Amino acid sequence: MTDSRTVYRAARSTAAAVDPGPEAEEFRREFRAWLSEHAPPELRGVGWPAVQGSPHAAALKAWGDVLCEAGYMCVAWPREYGGRGLSPVEVAIMNEEFDRAGVPRVTRGRAETTVGPAIIAHGTEEQKAYFLPRIISGEHVYCQGFSEPEAGSDLAGLRTSGVVDGDELVISGQKVWTSGYYESTMMFCLVRTDPDAAKHAGISYVLLPVAENGPGTGIEFRPIRQLTGRSGFAETFLDGARVPLFNVIGGLHQGWRVTVTTLGHERGNRATIAHVGYARDFWAVVEEARARGLTDDPAVREKLAWAWTQIETMRFSGLQLLAALAAGQDPSARAENGSVTKIRWSEYASRFGEIAVDLLGPEALTAGGTGEEGLGYWQEQFLSSRSGTIWGGTAEVQRNIIAERVLGLPKERKGAGR
Amino acid sequence: MSLAVTTEQEDLRTAVGRFLDARSPVRRARELMAGEVPHDADVWRALAADLGVQGIGVPGEYGGSGVDVQTLAHVFEEAGRVLLPGPLLATLGLAAPLLVAAGDGDAQARYLPGIAAGTTVATVGWLAPGAPWDAVGGAATAVRRPGAGWFVDGRVALVLDGLAADLCLVVADAPAGPSVFAVDAAGPGVDRRRVRALDPTRGLADLVLDGAPGTLVGEEGAGRALLDAALDRACVLLAAETVGAAQACLDASVSYAMRREQFGRPIGSFQAVKHKCAEVLVEIEGARSCARYAAWACGASPEEVPVVAVLAKAAGAEALFRAAAENVQIHGGIGFTWEHDAHLYLKRAKACQVLFGDTRAFRLRLADRLGL
Ligand SMILES: Cc1cc2nc3c(=O)[nH]c(=O)nc-3n(C[C@H](O)[C@H](O)[C@H](O)COP(=O)(O)OP(=O)(O)OC[C@H]3O[C@@H](n4cnc5c(N)ncnc54)[C@H](O)[C@@H]3O)c2cc1C
Repeated sequence: MTDSRTVYRAARSTAAAVDPGPEAEEFRREFRAWLSEHAPPELRGVGWPAVQGSPHAAALKAWGDVLCEAGYMCVAWPREYGGRGLSPVEVAIMNEEFDRAGVPRVTRGRAETTVGPAIIAHGTEEQKAYFLPRIISGEHVYCQGFSEPEAGSDLAGLRTSGVVDGDELVISGQKVWTSGYYESTMMFCLVRTDPDAAKHAGISYVLLPVAENGPGTGIEFRPIRQLTGRSGFAETFLDGARVPLFNVIGGLHQGWRVTVTTLGHERGNRATIAHVGYARDFWAVVEEARARGLTDDPAVREKLAWAWTQIETMRFSGLQLLAALAAGQDPSARAENGSVTKIRWSEYASRFGEIAVDLLGPEALTAGGTGEEGLGYWQEQFLSSRSGTIWGGTAEVQRNIIAERVLGLPKERKGAGR
Repeated sequence: MSLAVTTEQEDLRTAVGRFLDARSPVRRARELMAGEVPHDADVWRALAADLGVQGIGVPGEYGGSGVDVQTLAHVFEEAGRVLLPGPLLATLGLAAPLLVAAGDGDAQARYLPGIAAGTTVATVGWLAPGAPWDAVGGAATAVRRPGAGWFVDGRVALVLDGLAADLCLVVADAPAGPSVFAVDAAGPGVDRRRVRALDPTRGLADLVLDGAPGTLVGEEGAGRALLDAALDRACVLLAAETVGAAQACLDASVSYAMRREQFGRPIGSFQAVKHKCAEVLVEIEGARSCARYAAWACGASPEEVPVVAVLAKAAGAEALFRAAAENVQIHGGIGFTWEHDAHLYLKRAKACQVLFGDTRAFRLRLADRLGL
């Protein structure tokens, strides 16, 4: 069984398992035809999202523009806000078709899946009219300014202050672990606007322009090197950065509910898609193991079979979620709970990273690859996989959420965990 | 047919759940396991007569309502929840699927209507004493006497619900290779011995066959293929059963953790306890996804079944073991008592892990079937 066969199999059984209905199937036909005509051959097999300094950056941007032009960007958003109003099932179909065609689905990343839905849910019509089209066009690329040196898991413990000055907010403080700062033009960030209010009641959710950051602008990013050797995130220093009050979403001091919307999307949006990339890596590791003559070893076979079970579990649970949605049902709180999904994929990815590196044998010790620090693909995967159980709320915090919100167990103390 | 749970399935599940809570709660499993045969014939008949459960595994032309594993799996989840003793797995997981796979009109007409009606308890036997689960052949031998038919001799170990069974489908060595023979389990030439089990809620027996008359089912020599087909089905339904049992363990853990207080607060407010519960939930949700997909695949994507059945059984058994073990722990001292039900689930859990092959063996089987 090969890589392509696996991916195709997933595509085939979605149609059967989900019973998406004639309209969705019509959409599939339409989109498949469009894609076969427009998919850029030079991007075949290229992954998305692009990593920092990707040689395909220009081609990916151009492909994004084509998608945008044709109305295939931010497709899950309502039509009135420039999206396409696709149902989760249709989005899944679209992902499959991209996969089938072997080209990446360029998206607007976290702006599309987290900020956008938060603006749609909590913004005023004027805010929607201003911010949403700029996300779609790619003019506004967002980074996330939630975490601070003293406030990580305890997100609401943040201290960065926003002081109202006329029709502006003046922001001072420090953010940290700001991913993707290097390509961002905007930051969605949390600031404390009412220091006297209760912890969750004095926070505002602000869309802060950062395009022209640097000394004198009140915003400065200082890259932090990650354990992979890359500097994927930064410290962000805010020193009197000014932003119009217009850019506060959900109302002054009312930012916590917007944050909850954002976090929910951040955790939930991999439920139906994560398995595809993992399956690709899995079969690549199988090939490596075969080439090294390791697949006869029962210990290796057992580990690989375990990994496949986890990948399939992700596929099956995603399909069940979609099937329920397609049948017009409200999926159970459990199945749709982003925390369950997040624990599953992040812990799987870490374990798979270990398995992949173990298979390299003595070669795992050496840095003879082409990656940062001379590391090979699997070594980098192993290292970067350790972040999944940290970002977006640690695995421990997700377990607290499951225990309290899904199982109804009592809180340990008030407000434990983001 | 989509993966979504239909209203009909939901309704059946509720009805079966109510029936089992009334007629076969875990308390009843305790009573039955104290006797010789962990099987309540009245409950079995009522499951067929009132709820049509057995009919769900039998094609319409043989008195059933059609083979619908996806629906049947919901019944197994409920049965697992209350640790229903009795031959659900043996009859609907092994024997009926084997008969259907054999495509032998005579055998089907003879046995399936009784299974659908709840008047026949059936099982399958293939294991030679001391042999591993995947060894087929060597347990019994079948010889044909001109004019008199087939006779089976041998010793078949660990037959599920062997004492409750009316019909045992025995995989015996015939001249053309391992073949399936229908043997009257209570008939001449059959000596049944109860096997005391780790999991006393699931009946096990050894059968000593001494010239027992048998009827060939399906082609001579087809024994291995038929057994494989039956085992895949049994694994799918066993996976559903383990998910139901695991959920019962988690529910028990959570409700106890909310009630029991130590250090002036409910133990469920301690993170060490909360995280155990959350971890168990994540594992059960995964196992449930696998079990439901595997059941769906039996009807809608049959070529996937050999892979997903194996995967679902392993995932379900692991989830149940984890849930059952943590349930004992969360109950503290009470969890270690005979009086509390926690140990019944722990025993069921270990037995489910070992039944048909342990998780390691299943992963290796999965690797084989994936072509790794
Ligand atoms: C690769 C990467 C990218 C990131 N990108 C961004 C970004 O773009 N924007 C942004 O705002 N943030 C980002 N983050 C930050 C991330 O959200 C935080 O790191 C995370 O929420 C944890 O906070 P912390 O680092 O302060 O750890 P801490 O909160 O100090 O946690 C340390 C340890 O204590 C445990 N702990 C804390 N509280 C509890 C509790 N109540 N119960 C049990 N255990 C607990 C944690 O689980 C962890 O193991 C990123 C992080 C990483 C690793």
